[in-house]
Amino acid sequence: MEIIKTIGLIKDYDLGKVKVRALNGVDLTIETGEFVAIMGPSGSGKSTLMHIIGCLDSPTEGDYYLDGTLVSKMSRNELAAIRNAKIGFVFQSFHLLPHLNILKNVELPLMYAGLSGKQRSLKAREILDSVGLSDRLKHKPGELSGGQRQRVAIARAIVNKPSIVLADEPTGNLDSTSGGDILEIFERLHRQGNTMIIVTHDAAVAARADRIVQIHDGRIEDGD
Amino acid sequence: MAISLAESVYIGLIDVSTRKVRTAVTLFGIVLGVMSIMVVLAIVNGMNEVTLDWMQQRGGLNKIQISMNWDYDFSRGGEATFSMREVDYLRSQLEDVEAFNPQVQAWGSIVQFRDSDFETSAMGVYPDLQKVEDWELEKGRFINLDDIRNHNNVIVLGSTVAENLFRNRNPLGQYVTLNKQQLMVIGVLKSKYWKNQGDGAFSGNVLEYMNRQVFLPLSTMIAKVNPNLKVSSIEIKVLPGKDISKVKRQAEDLVLNIKRGKQLFRVSSAQEEMQMMKKSMVIFTVIFFLIAMISLLVGGIVITNIMLASVKERTREIGVRIAVGARGKDILIQFLVQTMLITTLGGVFGIFAGIAILDVVAGFLDITLKAAPNMIWVALLVSASTGLIFGIGPAYKASKLDPVKALMED
Repeated sequence: MEIIKTIGLIKDYDLGKVKVRALNGVDLTIETGEFVAIMGPSGSGKSTLMHIIGCLDSPTEGDYYLDGTLVSKMSRNELAAIRNAKIGFVFQSFHLLPHLNILKNVELPLMYAGLSGKQRSLKAREILDSVGLSDRLKHKPGELSGGQRQRVAIARAIVNKPSIVLADEPTGNLDSTSGGDILEIFERLHRQGNTMIIVTHDAAVAARADRIVQIHDGRIEDGD
Repeated sequence: MAISLAESVYIGLIDVSTRKVRTAVTLFGIVLGVMSIMVVLAIVNGMNEVTLDWMQQRGGLNKIQISMNWDYDFSRGGEATFSMREVDYLRSQLEDVEAFNPQVQAWGSIVQFRDSDFETSAMGVYPDLQKVEDWELEKGRFINLDDIRNHNNVIVLGSTVAENLFRNRNPLGQYVTLNKQQLMVIGVLKSKYWKNQGDGAFSGNVLEYMNRQVFLPLSTMIAKVNPNLKVSSIEIKVLPGKDISKVKRQAEDLVLNIKRGKQLFRVSSAQEEMQMMKKSMVIFTVIFFLIAMISLLVGGIVITNIMLASVKERTREIGVRIAVGARGKDILIQFLVQTMLITTLGGVFGIFAGIAILDVVAGFLDITLKAAPNMIWVALLVSASTGLIFGIGPAYKASKLDPVKALMED
């Protein structure tokens, strides 16, 4: 089953006098349960593609179906609901909220989903346990190592049981050991049936995926 | 799918507690503003209480007075007096009246008992005077209808008069002399007391003049003591719950009719008098109100700026929240609640500060200030509204952030 299907995605950025075409007709299909790496040099459009796949941005033209739903024409608020329910983000620089403890950080998507405090706490503890951080619940992100922080971010990404996990250079700020741990967690999540999408320029990271999608000048070059 | 208010308050509390210095700075203007509002309200409240007390001492708020119109040009003829027939007619025509007292007054009368004498204002009145002016008796009784009908030689003494003439002796049943008439003392009134603020010329008991009066039946006064006197003023007390201004208009029309259109008399109500008294205090209210408004405005502008800085500083956090599913509304509420928490906290401090300085202000301005429970609600409402008004801009800005740009912010 297709979890992601884009047809002729075009994204233009209006920079005053010049218009920049970041995506120039992207057709991409990703099946449920796939582990896909999106690769490309900087400026290739891979970040733009990730933002659109992650419903943080909308294409200028073209259609994007997520889980069978056309999301490319949705309003800001509708997209917020889609992000909350179907997408888990893992960022290069973790993007945890520094003044909240890690339990509260992981509860964040559940809060916006409208779950009660009790349910949130229960689910967040369970997920943090699965990434090996159950003894750090009350710690602030600043008290954790980079690898631990990224594990918190992964916990936050998957706590809502999303349709896809979208990771943007997830090992970019980590040493090789911690990076390896993170990739192992990704592989485990993949084995458990999650759809994983990693955006990276690191070939070693991309090699862990089932499939590598190369993007260059706003177009997909090699789709197999 | 919405973030609850309790959640926003929780987030707000965390924000406030992690940014203590910023919060304190933000609070300052609000504290000052709310403090001033407390003072304004205490002034207004104090004024109300004082004037009300003053009016009550003099017979309450449902009182209407018919007296000479000082603006009338009496050289055009006419005299500001009523005949007894006119008085009776007026009484019979007026509706909703609880008490009705026509009176004559003889200033500078000398009342004598044995070898003591006292200069007094001798009043010829109806029994209703007791109700109209809310007199209580120290001893004995007040003038009754029999006294009026029979022109009885009886007199009721003000407390100061009784004290001066009788010292420690019991005045009841004793005869005093007024204008060569022997009058039996049937009652002594309780003294009226109302302390004016300050220590100027009008300090002390401003109602003392009332304690220096003596009261006789109106009929006795005109028939025996001083035949030249005519009724020159009438006091009316309106039945509780009845429309005072309606009775006042009715009285105006009747008096004008009796006097064939000549504006010889002025009809005034105690309520109007109270409005006049309040007006004289309005300047203090205005000054403190302005101070309050300026403080709140300055405080509000500071808040807007600090919240704008806060939104800028927390752009990434907002980006993260939007990325994990916060809608514009959630972000808006979060920042608005936070701002309102800060300003309400300022309001609470302002309430304490306001109560603390009430005595100082009262002493300095020499006026009565009085705290009231409703002031606290007003102060909280004002401080929360300040947060709402000055926080909505930054909160709106935060809610409209582009998550992609927000996440790339350092």
